[in-house]
Amino acid sequence: MSNAEHTHILPVRHLMANLIKLMILMVLTVVAARLAPIPDTMFANFVAMGIAVAKAAFVISIFMAVKFSTKLTKLFALGGFVWLLLIGGILIDYYSRPWEPVVGWEDASSLPRTPGVDE
Amino acid sequence: MSEPAAQDPEAPVVCGQYETIEQQQECYIVGMWTFLVTEILFFGGMFLVYVLYRTTYSKEWAAMSTKLDFWWGGLNTAVLLLSSFFVAMAVRCAQLKRTRAQLNYIGLTIVCACAFLVVKYIEYSGKIEHNMFPNWSFVAPDGIEVGPARLFMSLYFAMTGLHGIHVLVGIIVFVVLILMVRAKAPSISDHIPTEMIGLYWHFVDLVWIFLYPLFYLIPAINP
Repeated sequence: MSNAEHTHILPVRHLMANLIKLMILMVLTVVAARLAPIPDTMFANFVAMGIAVAKAAFVISIFMAVKFSTKLTKLFALGGFVWLLLIGGILIDYYSRPWEPVVGWEDASSLPRTPGVDE
Repeated sequence: MSEPAAQDPEAPVVCGQYETIEQQQECYIVGMWTFLVTEILFFGGMFLVYVLYRTTYSKEWAAMSTKLDFWWGGLNTAVLLLSSFFVAMAVRCAQLKRTRAQLNYIGLTIVCACAFLVVKYIEYSGKIEHNMFPNWSFVAPDGIEVGPARLFMSLYFAMTGLHGIHVLVGIIVFVVLILMVRAKAPSISDHIPTEMIGLYWHFVDLVWIFLYPLFYLIPAINP
């Protein structure tokens, strides 16, 4: 395989179209959050983050050229999402602690106060 | 030395540990992605703190969010997206060996990066002027509890500040790249250095893509 075949050179119109998509999404997120706010705030959160994820997908696939890269590069790019598993695990631990109280892990506000230290 | 390098004097040199130029280039790009994964983990800790406190102080943080000017944040988002386009164009020009255009696009990226930092300076100045930065005499806006408000501003300065440092590093690296390309440095014999720095810059853009809605836009989860 020659170097030219290995390197994927994107056409300008392809890059320009990606920029326009990103700009449209940016305007949409401002409109949905501030200019014409979505009444259901929980849904508004999902819309804002959904648009952010879509923008990130366009940047990663086209500008970072992951879409046209080798399988090994794609695998390492996928490694960036391992963090989501870590944050998921930590959040499960954090929010499930009150369900199964463990001695020594009580909420600090419920513990007896130490004179001279806490007061 | 591999066959293409022997035929073309301007072709990139294949180092001894690689069999082909394709293998060498893939190795560089994979190495850059590995670095970016560590950067994601670096920012990830802060995003985790954000999630924990935002769910705890949802109402207060949503109220504080309205104290940030979303127009400035939006302008910075547009500037960074545009800079990402310029970087992608610079990589394309490097692939096509159009050095003049490559340098112009890198220059435009640096202009965008500087514009981003100027907007950030204006924003930070306003917050510091109104004592809305983490300090002992921090004054929360009316109706908002001081603790969560200070926490919001602390994380705002920490996360956007860390991102700003990355922008600054990007500017320095781009300037070094321009100097090396102009000097025809032996290590800049193909498009790979531009592509690697470009990947870093797109990552900086990606972080801001999430920081913008998280700090400037999204309302309370349970108002």
